[in-house]
Amino acid sequence: MSDFTLILISGVGLGALYFLVASGLSLIYGLMGVLNFAHGVFLAAGAFGGFWVTNTLMPDMSSRSLALAILMGGLISGTFAVIMEKLIITRLYERHMDQALVTVGVTLVVTAMMTGWFGPDARLMYIPGWYYNAIEIFGANVPVDRFLYIGVALAIFLVSMSILKFTRIGLVIRAGVENRSMVTALGINVKRAFTTVFFVGGFAAGMGGVLIGAYASGVSPFMGASWLIYGFIVVVVGGMGSIPGTALAALLIGVTKQFANFYISGLGDFIVVLLLATVLLTRPQGLLGKAAH
Amino acid sequence: MLKWSGSRYLIGAILLFFAAGPFIGYLRLDNAGYQQTFALAFCFGALALTYDLLFGFTGLLSFGHALFVASGAYITAIAVNRFGWSLLIAALFAIAVTWILATLIGFASLRTGGITFAMVTLAFGEAGHVIIGKNFGGWTNGENGLPIQADLIPQFLVGVANTKYLYWMALALLVLIYLAAWWITESSAGRVWQGLRDNEVRVSVLGLNPARFKLLAFVVSATLASMIGVMLLLVQGLATPRLATAEVTIALLLAVIIGGAATRWGAVLGGVIYSLASNRLQDLNQGELVSGLPTFISGPLSEPTFILGLIFILIVMFAPGGISGAYYRSRLKYLTKKISQG
Repeated sequence: MSDFTLILISGVGLGALYFLVASGLSLIYGLMGVLNFAHGVFLAAGAFGGFWVTNTLMPDMSSRSLALAILMGGLISGTFAVIMEKLIITRLYERHMDQALVTVGVTLVVTAMMTGWFGPDARLMYIPGWYYNAIEIFGANVPVDRFLYIGVALAIFLVSMSILKFTRIGLVIRAGVENRSMVTALGINVKRAFTTVFFVGGFAAGMGGVLIGAYASGVSPFMGASWLIYGFIVVVVGGMGSIPGTALAALLIGVTKQFANFYISGLGDFIVVLLLATVLLTRPQGLLGKAAH
Repeated sequence: MLKWSGSRYLIGAILLFFAAGPFIGYLRLDNAGYQQTFALAFCFGALALTYDLLFGFTGLLSFGHALFVASGAYITAIAVNRFGWSLLIAALFAIAVTWILATLIGFASLRTGGITFAMVTLAFGEAGHVIIGKNFGGWTNGENGLPIQADLIPQFLVGVANTKYLYWMALALLVLIYLAAWWITESSAGRVWQGLRDNEVRVSVLGLNPARFKLLAFVVSATLASMIGVMLLLVQGLATPRLATAEVTIALLLAVIIGGAATRWGAVLGGVIYSLASNRLQDLNQGELVSGLPTFISGPLSEPTFILGLIFILIVMFAPGGISGAYYRSRLKYLTKKISQG
């Protein structure tokens, strides 16, 4: 029972990180049809921003420093996303394949820049001592950091859902995911919606980057690559452009991976890809996605 | 497509130039190290061409192509080392297994289209990379790479003095893959591929099944890639998990875009240039060229992917068609001018 609880909560925590990476990917694709490969370097750029806060600006290992780092990671990554959108993506309007290719190029260039500036090796962040504490739940010692990930992801989930549901720009985004050409034809300016989506998506990825830097083995220029792949899997399984779908898929995949890794040592990644293949064969549009348009 | 009547002779001359290299020694081709560098470049050019069949000719953006290169290399090495099979039988076995693997993966991933296909193939490729890296049952030797046992393969393929044979084999394989790609892209199936790339709906209205032709493109390019995987195993002496990474596929994508998609020779040229450049840029950048610059600039410049990535972005944004596209555009301009002048 205690194993079960631990793995379940760890899985949900991992799913929360996946959600942070995948939510932006899903919205950017859903609204603009852009497959954003550069999401992995958004994540790494945000992580380096957070690293700068925890290790240079405020190296006191306080909770305040960590909170500021998470915020800083989000801001840097969100700004970076908006710059890329304005500078490159908008110039390739409606050329979806080229947009995807350009984001691959951005990934290479920015990864090379980060490697040149910060070196290829992973660096450890100064994080508060409580990060490694555990609390007892149903007889299981659950590390507290898992709850931090769940909290941040929940916050991003609620914020993006309320933007989508209650604001005008959210209405435009939802309508744009549904039928972009109709929204444009009605004379509504979707450009601001595009920029919003890129900022929020980048922001979530940057926060995720800082948390991943603290969770996994530090901050490095290449840290985004493997998380990007999981982000893609989550987006495809959840259904493009659907935030609830992304959240559901992130949880499903996080929990599945943890259980698979526990019972069949090291096979987690493989099982997740099998899950992906199963979803593709039975429901190609994803769990909560609409049929392809 | 515009054809320059002299192109046949030019290609013949280039082939002769490279084939004679180890005898005469220009480009330092009498040196085993350079022979290996060029052998790798030929392999990479051939790989770029197999990727072009998917991306350039059929319009399928796959990020899992490297998996099939790795499966060719690894299965051959395993069959030789573990089962004691002869190299030829092992290679044929590896190619056959890759064929089946590509059919299964292609069938699942082609359930999606366009951009989603890119994500899904990336996931499959990564799964392959993880499986190789995890070293299940000691089959793949994990992150260290799996060397092929030198005493179990024909002796003319072993040793520094014999690198020239590998060089010639790689060149021959490039020619072979080129001929195969030429034949299939000019065949009726190849025409359908290009039709699918340009307008899938129109192809299906004509009564042809898009899924079948896409799967054919996927399987053909994967099978050809596995042959090159076997060659890479021999040239490098070992199969490495790096072969299966998305980095390799992305490098192929860069090569095809820089050289020019859907023209065959563009992809080969792009692949050879990319391979040589990523080898040479590193030496160049760490030399005196950048030493005078502030570290803020020289740091990124010493990474080959920085320059190659920038070139890639600029080509996608401002010069679609790459090198071969630019060539055909200028050729078209020249001919139009000539015709209008009578």
